[in-house]
Formats: sequence, structure tokens, C-alpha cells
Amino acid sequence: MKALEQAKHRANGGRSQAAALYDDKNCSVDRRMFWDEEIYQEELDRIFHRCWLFVAHESQIQEPGQFVSTYMGEDNVLVVRQSDRSIRVLVNSCTHRGNRICHAELGTARNFVCNYHGWSFGLDGRLLGMHESEAFENTPNFEFKDFGLSTAARVSTYKGLVFATFDPSAPSLEEYLGDYTWYLDILLDNDDGGTEFLPGTIKSVFRCNWKLPSENSTGDALHAGWTHDSGVRAMLGTGVAPGFGTDSYQININGHGWQCNFDYPLGNAASFGDKRILSYLKERRDVVRRRLGALRVNMLAAVSSAGIFPNFSFLPGQSTFRVWHPRGVDEVEMHSWVLVNKNAPPEVKDAYRKGVMMTFSPSGVFEMDDGENFEFSTRTVRGAEGRRRPIYYGLSRGSKIKHNELPGNVYRGQINDANQRAYFRRWADFMSAETWSEVPDR
Amino acid sequence: MSVVKDNATAACGIVPASVQGEIERFLYLEARLLDEGDYDSWLVLLAPDIHYWMPIIENRMRGDPIGTYGPDRVAYFDDTLDDIKRRVARFQSRTAWAEDPATRHIHVISNIEVEAGEKPDEVVAHSIFINYRNRGERDEDILYGRRRDLIRRRSGSWLLARRRILIAQNVLLAKNINTFL
Repeated sequence: MKALEQAKHRANGGRSQAAALYDDKNCSVDRRMFWDEEIYQEELDRIFHRCWLFVAHESQIQEPGQFVSTYMGEDNVLVVRQSDRSIRVLVNSCTHRGNRICHAELGTARNFVCNYHGWSFGLDGRLLGMHESEAFENTPNFEFKDFGLSTAARVSTYKGLVFATFDPSAPSLEEYLGDYTWYLDILLDNDDGGTEFLPGTIKSVFRCNWKLPSENSTGDALHAGWTHDSGVRAMLGTGVAPGFGTDSYQININGHGWQCNFDYPLGNAASFGDKRILSYLKERRDVVRRRLGALRVNMLAAVSSAGIFPNFSFLPGQSTFRVWHPRGVDEVEMHSWVLVNKNAPPEVKDAYRKGVMMTFSPSGVFEMDDGENFEFSTRTVRGAEGRRRPIYYGLSRGSKIKHNELPGNVYRGQINDANQRAYFRRWADFMSAETWSEVPDR
Repeated sequence: MSVVKDNATAACGIVPASVQGEIERFLYLEARLLDEGDYDSWLVLLAPDIHYWMPIIENRMRGDPIGTYGPDRVAYFDDTLDDIKRRVARFQSRTAWAEDPATRHIHVISNIEVEAGEKPDEVVAHSIFINYRNRGERDEDILYGRRRDLIRRRSGSWLLARRRILIAQNVLLAKNINTFL
């Protein structure tokens, strides 16, 4: 930190100034949060080192020794199925010199051996041995037990999704998600057999701040009809009517958001232009209704989008899940997957695989129009004049309602910034809180 | 690299120099049409039963028997002619905001080897490409890759019937692939 910033930091009793960058009263966001390197470094500590972060789907690591390599913030981690079938999350950095240990993005291992000096770690992260081990054994005070890999403090799953946190004082995953699980169940628990990720992870690079795509998924229904007009026309032969229907909502809980539309209950799935998927959904309507109720059956594939704070997004109906991993203040590495019901027929699974590829993948007719918006919303806010202008997130203020069935904070109207306001409010909660006990329930 | 199932057709020996020349001209023409964004003319070069496939490349250890790419995994392209036409429909839409102003494309094609196919009217062509894209003021993306094509002769013209595209990147170092390769 620069001297001036340090002085301000001390004057504020050691508290971060960053939280002030979201102005809840005026519903505005200071552009600094999208370009300031110091804010980004604070985010790594205060958000990515504290929050529960999505790391894998259980289907990716079914057998002992199977692992996937992913990121928690900028920490590369290995998500490893243990011999007792539990899951551990190891930091992929040798405790000797810090080198990366495992260079594969997935596979099956008996142990992980560092290329540099041959330090070898078990699936549980314990140091097992190394090249010239005798010399270490004869070194005074050298204890193998002191050199196990760093691990996530806690790992927990929710119906197939694996999450981890580096913060031992974090609340349980159930508390972190709160009533949001009622919504997650729509995708994760609409069938007896549960879900799986289809094989393969798409990874791509966006030169944007990580919060822009994250807040977009959590609530930006507004952009869909405009940004994606060409994609909708390519897949369906017609554009989106303005107004988007009337029976639509935004819902948020602890900064996690879901926005959906009951006028078009198959709207997202229809964007694939694939009859096999629509037939599958129609055939299963009664089963899903019995399982989830009359309301949620219409949310499974509706025109909708959703996100779990801070950077895990998904599209119900299109069935793509994605994480926006930060790579510095102005770059994101996106990892994305296709979620299907395990018991779905093979041709339906393949239709989802192809449908996501045609719509929300780097070659997809929808995603291609998103990237440039995120990139230029990051790049153009650095100028001395530009940075003085706050960003407006006030759309449809005052639309909060009471709803008898939808849990959480409910807002009438999908065309609304309510979920994005909740996202930035949550961001400010974490940036100002010194401990988890100061993070309020929202 | 381990053996994987894919959309391969076996190559069966050499072809005459005249056929090599025709295939080179076909591939260069195709590259120029893509550079020019002349998708309607490009579509004429595709066979009705085309399988146009660009798998993702996984970063697996050499000893991993599963292999770095395969047909059941997610892909960048795994297209029929109808799928390709949908992508073209977006490129040609007036509301494809991210294509306007247009991206400047350069498709460099090289290392063309042509072998006889399993059927008398088919050849297997190997080539490598550099795809250079420049957008707006200073946005630049470069992809290198290797292709294997099945090209079929129909009424005096050549048509692309299969294409497998293997790029060298694991993480796609770009936000999209707004072209064909």
C-alpha cells in the first residue's frame, strides 16, 4: 500500500476503506473497484480467502486418487478423492520451495511428487518422502509432519456440488447458502439419481474484472433481450419481445441471486433449438412437480440466470455452470461445465452438451456477445474523468414484495438491478468486516 | 499420444500431384472466404453430411490412458451443417454487436499433405493453420492448430465432409472463437 493509503487505513482504525465504494443509498458503484490493484489484493484476502468457493462436482472425482486442479482466488488447488471417499482440497504448491507439484488439470494419482527436489505428498497432503531424504532426516529440528501441503480449512458438499473455504471461522456451507438451497434443489434435486457434470471443462480468458460477469449472472436480465438479440435470432429465428412478460422476479439471499420468469417456463431450454430437450422436460413435468411443487417445476428451465457469491454462476435451463476465477484486477479465467441428471437418456445428455456449446461457450452464439461488454466495462473506467463517474445500479428500486412461497428477498420484475445491488452490498459486507462474526445475514 | 476414437477416416496412400494441387487451391480458397467473412460462399464448400469438430484439449499426464481429447467431452465445435448455419446466421445478423465493426481475420494455411481416402472420390488432407484475429484498436488473438480433413469430389467440385481441429491451447487464451478454423 502507498504511504497515503496506509495513513488513511490507520486513521480508520485499521479498517478497509473499500466498503465505501458501494453506495447503497444512491445504488451506485465506484468504478475504482474494477481497476484498483490495491482493492483487488484486499479482495483476495477478504473475499476469496473467506467465502465458500465452488471447487468441483462430485462426479468429476468418483474413485480414490481421482483429482481435478482448480483455483480458489489465485491459489491453485487440487480437489482429491481420498481412500476413505472423503474429499480434501490441497494447495498445489510445494512446502519446500513453493513450486507447483501437479501439472495435470485432472487425472488419477497415488501421490503427488514435486519435479524440483522430489518432495512427495500423499493424497491427503502429508509429506511422505523426498530425494536425498536421509540428509533431511539428519537435519536438526526437521519434522516431516511440519511440511504437509496447505489445505482448505473446510470442505463440504451440497447435493453433488463441492465447496471449500480457507477460513476456519467461516459458518457452515448450509448457513452460507441459507434458503438459497431451496432454489439450488430445482437443478440439483429434480430427479432421484442426482446430477453429474459431463466430461470436460471449457476454459477461456476474459480481460475483465471478475465482478462484472459475476453480477451479470446474478441478476442482469436486462441485457438478455438486447445483447443477445443476434443469438436468439440465430437459434429461434425471432428476437425477444420487449417487456419480457409480467410474472417475473428477482430473489436474493446472502448475496446469492436468482432471477426468473414464469411467463416462459421453458424459455432458456428453448434457446438450444433442440426438440429432444423440450420433450425430455415436458415428459418429466409431473415427476418434477411431485418432487418440487407447482412453483418450482416452472423454474427449472425458465428464462432465468443465477449466481452464488462471489464468482459461481449458472443458467437454469441451459444447464451451464461456470466460475470466474480472478487473474489480477483486469483478467478472468472462466471454467465452465454442463450439468445433467445422471439418469437422463444418453441422447438427452448429448443434446445438452451440444446445446451449451452452441449457446454459452467461446464459440456459442450468446457468449460471443457478452465478452466484449465485460472487457470494455473494465477498460474504459480508468481515465481521470471516467473514474469520477459512479456506475448506476438503481433500476426498479422499491420493487421489494412479500411472497408466500418464494423464500428470501423477493422483488417483482425481472428487469431489475435488485440482485446486483444485493451482490455489491454483500461485497461491501466482506470488504468492511474484520471477522466472520461481523458479516450480517442478508 | 494415446489412440482415441474420433471422426477419423483412414488414409490410404499417395495421390497424384494434380490432386495435391487441387486440394491446396481448395484450402486456400476456403481460408480467403473466411478472411473476407463471405460465409455464403464458404457454405457452398461444405458437404451436407459434414462433421465439423474441434475438441477441447485436456492437460493430462502422458501416462493417463484417457488421452487429451475425445468425442464424449465438451467441445468448441461438434457441428452438423445445420449447426454451422446457425452460427453463420448470427455472424450475418445486424445485431451481432460484437462483430461490428468487423473483426479482421487472417487464416494462414500451411504444411498441406494429401493422401488417398478409403473411397475413390475422397482424400484425407492434413494441414496446419495460424488464425490471427484483430479487433477494434488493439485487440489481438492468435490460434495455432492442426487439421485433418476428409474432402470429397462431387460433380467436379471438392466438398469438405469431415474436419478435426486440434489447437495447441488448453486454456483458450481468448474470450471467444468468432470464426471458423
